[in-house]
Amino acid sequence: MALPPRLRAIPRHFSISPLQRHITHPSQSPSSLSSIPPTQQSQTRRFTQNLTHTLQIYRSASTDPYLNLSIEHHLLQRSHPDSTILFLYTNRPSIIIGRNQNPWLEVNLHALREGLPPQTSPPPPPHTTPTTNDAHPSPRTTTATVPVPIALVRRRSGGGTVFHDAGNTNYSVICPPAAFDRDRHAEMVVRALRGLGVGGARVNERHDIVVDVGDGGGGEGAGGTFKVSGSAYKLTRTRSLHHGTCLLGSENLGRVSRLLRSPAEGFVKARGVESVRSPIRNVGVGGEEFVDAVMGEFRKMYGDAAGQGVVVGEDEALANEEVVKGVRELVSPDWIFGQTPQFTFSTHPTEEDPRERPEVVHTLPYGFETHFSIRHGEIQSATMAGLEYHDFVDEASQDEILSKGLVKQRLHYITDWRRTLKQASPIPVDVDDAGEFLNHMFGIQPPAEKGGGAVAQAVVQTISDTVVGMFLDGDIMDL
Amino acid sequence: MASITRCLRAARPAAFSAVARNSAPRTISARAFSVTASNAIKRYTKEHEWIDISADKKTGVLGISEYAAKQLGDIVYVELPEEGKEVKVGDAIGAVESVKSAADINAPVSCKITHINSFLEEKPGNINQVAEDDSHGGGWIAKVELTEQGLEDFEQMMDVAAYKEFTAAEEEH
Repeated sequence: MALPPRLRAIPRHFSISPLQRHITHPSQSPSSLSSIPPTQQSQTRRFTQNLTHTLQIYRSASTDPYLNLSIEHHLLQRSHPDSTILFLYTNRPSIIIGRNQNPWLEVNLHALREGLPPQTSPPPPPHTTPTTNDAHPSPRTTTATVPVPIALVRRRSGGGTVFHDAGNTNYSVICPPAAFDRDRHAEMVVRALRGLGVGGARVNERHDIVVDVGDGGGGEGAGGTFKVSGSAYKLTRTRSLHHGTCLLGSENLGRVSRLLRSPAEGFVKARGVESVRSPIRNVGVGGEEFVDAVMGEFRKMYGDAAGQGVVVGEDEALANEEVVKGVRELVSPDWIFGQTPQFTFSTHPTEEDPRERPEVVHTLPYGFETHFSIRHGEIQSATMAGLEYHDFVDEASQDEILSKGLVKQRLHYITDWRRTLKQASPIPVDVDDAGEFLNHMFGIQPPAEKGGGAVAQAVVQTISDTVVGMFLDGDIMDL
Repeated sequence: MASITRCLRAARPAAFSAVARNSAPRTISARAFSVTASNAIKRYTKEHEWIDISADKKTGVLGISEYAAKQLGDIVYVELPEEGKEVKVGDAIGAVESVKSAADINAPVSCKITHINSFLEEKPGNINQVAEDDSHGGGWIAKVELTEQGLEDFEQMMDVAAYKEFTAAEEEH
């Protein structure tokens, strides 16, 4: 438990060494990052000096959400306990769920699989270094006619689900727990936004940044308050991390609501953390302007020694074993899906979850009922009733046999519920309607229906042709 | 431990009786635990974990302090340690989430996890109500077997008085 206030000033060896060999330090203004030459001797030395400083600013050249979160985690774990660090990054389209959330409940996995509409002119990645581009031409910039994949990510910090894309910039402040205050750095970003002319920005009671848009003086709640930034925190023994999004100019705002609405919502009762829906809006500020303003406010708070920001390149980050270890953890289906807190799925009201169920049940065979209890993505108990068997049998006991056959199945590896149900029953059974319903509920698209199969596979497919996916070279998961 | 819990119960009769109503075998477990409690020795880390060890100094019960629980705010989820796992002092053995914050729970001493408080999965808020209660329905996190090193780690920890002073000093800052 790291929380409370006083800093433990334990001198500790500061080792970010694998990064330091590679990271370049921009001598120019941050807006001309794309012209930074590759690693040079003098710059390496300058970065080494930076490591001893108690103030550091880093910017990621990568748009990979798994890599950026792993660089951030590395900074959290390895930075000097006394240091205060600002880290800025922008991700390619992704849905980021909180540490203790349920992807089957928070995300429309079908919409996730569809991806975003192809873009005719892909926006330039925010801080891409020439080296990265040359080494790995991004598949996304060359395939303008196929949908843009959306990554599904479970972060290590708490809180709810958010959507990221090139029009969203993330800030992250890592500091001693003594300085931990949930609003302090959101206020810093509010000052940056106000400086950029976003007058109505403020931190709300949920520690998020909202903008009040003129509503004729009706006050809050008159439809004029929009969320532009969400906060989440991670506290370790010696350090605290606050990171937040900031919607600057996302072109996908109109798509976010559908992406974050699961068809299983009315059937799932989950432990853990449920997201709170808020109307969202862009602040209409450019990425570079925002980054400059946030760095400026950070320096005002902590001092000019923080500098202009050290750029962490994709190749440099991937040369760090710990960062790569972090990426492997984050891309693993056992983390993304298997970390899900216990939940139940029931087609009908239960004592534990007495809500009225949505109407979609009409697609089910008459009298069909099912209830699952799922832990770490694995079915712990199942009850199926009302399936039609082809033989004259005691249907109730057949249901029981079939239900037992479902125990230990891992939800994220199921490729087609019709097959799973058939395999669980020793005698022929009519499973098409029930199977299709469950496929719909759990985001499964059997291979015949494009995109194919298990949700774990679908998520891995969005990773495999990225720079990080190519780096991991296919050993992301053992399907 | 005992005195703190007693104060806490007195201070929050409503909360405690709610727990008692919901837990049928309470009287049995309360009696079982009181044997341990009367002889137990309790200490704290600067990171706000507590451990209460048995008279023979071989086993203990651990959790996060009432002070920390208050600082964290409403706890909405607890990731419990893994039963059977051997851990070193300072290792992250679990986590709690409150107000969008995932906070590590660290092992206060080197030990082996023998039992976990599964009840917290359903009622994580029990940590806010009775963080230092080691009975059924209490906010304790795990029961452990101390290693030899664990006993040495224990000697380094703060006793109740020292911890009280420590948190008082923190509050001033």
